[in-house]
Amino acid sequence: MSLLQEEREIILSNEYVDNFDFAEVEEFVRGASKELFISHHFKTKKKMLVQPRGGFPTYKKQYALNEFFVNANVDVLPLTIDSNTRLNDYATAKKMLRLSEENDVDMLNGYPLVNHGYRTTRKMITHFNKPVSLRHGTPDARLLIETAIASGIFEIEGGPITYLLPYSKNFPLDKAFLYWKYVERVCANYSRLNEPINRESFGPLTATLVPPAITIVIQLLEMLLSLEEGVKSFSVSFSQTGSMNQDIVMGAVIRKLSAFYAKEIGCEDANIHLVYHQWMGAFPTNKSFAEQLINMSTVIASMVGADKIITKTREEASGIPTKEANAATVANTQYTLGILNGLPRIVDEEEEEILILEVHAIMEAVFNDPADTLWRKVFNSIKNGIIDVPFSPHIINHNEMITIRDAKKNIRIIKRGNVPIPKRCYEYEKAQCNLNKDTTSIVNDIIHDIGIMQ
Amino acid sequence: MNRLLIDVGSTYFKVSTPECIEQHFRDFNKDILDDLKYKCQKTIECYKKNDVYICSSANGGLSTLIIGLTNSFSLKYAKNIAFNSGINIIESVMYQNLLDYSIPSDLIDVVIIVGGINSNRDIFKDDLYEYLEKLNYSNIVFVGCENEAQKLEKNIQNLVILPNIIDEKLHIIEENLKVYLTNLYQQDIEGKEDIKNLYEITANQIYSTPYIVNKTLPFIHTKFGVVDPFILIDIGGATTDIHYSKDLVDDNIVTENEYDRLVFKKLGVYKSKESLIFAAQSNEFVYELLAHLKVTENIFSDESQKGTKVLMQLAIFLVLTKMSYYKQSYINLKLLSINSIVFTGGITKVLSANEIEDIISFFYKKILNSQHNPMTVLDGNYDIWTIGAGGEENVN
Repeated sequence: MSLLQEEREIILSNEYVDNFDFAEVEEFVRGASKELFISHHFKTKKKMLVQPRGGFPTYKKQYALNEFFVNANVDVLPLTIDSNTRLNDYATAKKMLRLSEENDVDMLNGYPLVNHGYRTTRKMITHFNKPVSLRHGTPDARLLIETAIASGIFEIEGGPITYLLPYSKNFPLDKAFLYWKYVERVCANYSRLNEPINRESFGPLTATLVPPAITIVIQLLEMLLSLEEGVKSFSVSFSQTGSMNQDIVMGAVIRKLSAFYAKEIGCEDANIHLVYHQWMGAFPTNKSFAEQLINMSTVIASMVGADKIITKTREEASGIPTKEANAATVANTQYTLGILNGLPRIVDEEEEEILILEVHAIMEAVFNDPADTLWRKVFNSIKNGIIDVPFSPHIINHNEMITIRDAKKNIRIIKRGNVPIPKRCYEYEKAQCNLNKDTTSIVNDIIHDIGIMQ
Repeated sequence: MNRLLIDVGSTYFKVSTPECIEQHFRDFNKDILDDLKYKCQKTIECYKKNDVYICSSANGGLSTLIIGLTNSFSLKYAKNIAFNSGINIIESVMYQNLLDYSIPSDLIDVVIIVGGINSNRDIFKDDLYEYLEKLNYSNIVFVGCENEAQKLEKNIQNLVILPNIIDEKLHIIEENLKVYLTNLYQQDIEGKEDIKNLYEITANQIYSTPYIVNKTLPFIHTKFGVVDPFILIDIGGATTDIHYSKDLVDDNIVTENEYDRLVFKKLGVYKSKESLIFAAQSNEFVYELLAHLKVTENIFSDESQKGTKVLMQLAIFLVLTKMSYYKQSYINLKLLSINSIVFTGGITKVLSANEIEDIISFFYKKILNSQHNPMTVLDGNYDIWTIGAGGEENVN
């Protein structure tokens, strides 16, 4: 038995897993409908796929949510996982699930997949026969991903960096890399049986003034970590920055460089897709404004040429959205996409050149780390501040980089910390901003920039 | 590589060559080197001094008292560095409540004073000096706010000043204190005649065994089918050591190590047998455990092999309890997330896998009310020690 298989058996002998049948799951994946694979839809669909967010604790409510989504003409169904499961606390998730079922009150903020089990969940997934995307935020997702794939969920979001730096303060990053290596291997192995399992990185990160270069570097590195384990379908992603021009530049650069770096490691046969998140920062409380913002995001996604868009709702500022609000966003987004025709192609050569130089410089510094494996090079680079994510709560993140918006609302780096932004690019970034103010005014500007859409 | 590895414990010593591992019960009437030569003379003679690597936990380590400002930063960071340097903590004192603590009567090897970030000032006052005057200690080191250093140096004799272990972002800076403590440990070893004599047969530095084990753990997968997260329990004659994977604690701190260490000083089955029995008798679940094992309290005075077995089983139960949320202590591990528990040390020679698993499931059922059943791995051949003991370069 391989080491991976030995490890899998131990992970799945968890007391909350009801007799995991490896052979049966393999047979299921082999024979699963192609409609369940988003990688298949990417290949065959001629339009941008629309995917909402959403997860309810009970089977009944999750089923009802999916029905709403299907009626709203959804392309990809979400399955958002509750916070207890994300932290591997299946005992609390179980208790809260029972309370939710008994009292008809949602005691969890998502679907506790491990507790429901794959046999139950698979019934729902195969019933709707649409691709499902697993949205979680779990540093140690080994058990969750095994359960998800066994349930028929063939798109797995996340990664060791993007699911850790924005979400977690203390979870050890080196462990996250190793746990995600397991996830990549499992996804790669199942990918051989039918259409590929799609892995998607979580580009928004902290969704707070993250400069494009950092987002792209992290997307590329998670992509490489995934491809080197054998994954054949991968989605890089980012969220609306607040500047239409910067979004378009970012979309162009991330597409070029993902193909470039995949080829660099001999994985050009993998399919790379681009996913765009509607605004992920603080939302306006005014619901009409929220709708305008969402609509604007859809237009930008079209200009960026995204393969998939992930939606938000008008209720974003006030709490977890209802199924009605969620379905309305899907329908509205589909409508907007349907009427957007013949958008002009915009290219900003100078901005593209600067961004490409920045990304290459950081990637080079990562590759130059003396560690013997890619994951350890990346780990060391985060530890040394070569990669620095603004506003990350994680204790390992340097938080030395400072960003602000320029007059055109582009996110600019005004303090680079240890991030090896080339001199020319750094000067360019700073030259776009008015830095002749006193420190207090700059700090006030940053605070304003964080809440720019409110 | 042709190396001779020797681990000197409080009860046994182990001698490892590429061909085999020998384990010998120590003769306490003899000097360690004499005893070693008497039992393994031929083996030792085959190796040059450069190829002999020795680690030791026989002297029980240094004792430390830490005075700090907060539980979440200064005390926590200093404790972490001390544990990972092979040091035993006898007391940690919150400076603000200094008067509430009784003065330890034993000689303390090193006092650590810590607290504040560098921009602070006027933290420590006369009450600190008064407290220290009553203490009986050999070394004293300050690793707190740099603005306080000069004042403390004036008022405390022989105070060693090292850079603050807390930086301005409240991160831990461990290197300086770690080096200082490991050097003290080293000097302590060198000062103890028994261990000092071992330099007759080795040209390499003698390290503390737990320090070596902690460095080895990232490479454990090369020898064992261990699934992360895991803990390693080393139950010895005088102490019990726990090495744990950092994702098992909620409030982690960034250090160079992937693993941290905890030591339960007086929880051993030979030299600290009495305190183990005392700890057992004060645990409300132990009588149920004894009933489960089908023995009575009389087992505590049983000197036979059976008595040792039960003590080993009690030690497993007690350390797991001490690390669980059932008992609030320095570290509470997320024991429900553990996939593997690795056992090393004398316990692997005494208990079978079944006997260990029996205790673990009893613990999970009684204390955590769970059916969780982590896989048990026995390091019966001391592989964990041998991976790390062959010199620093093996594990770096």
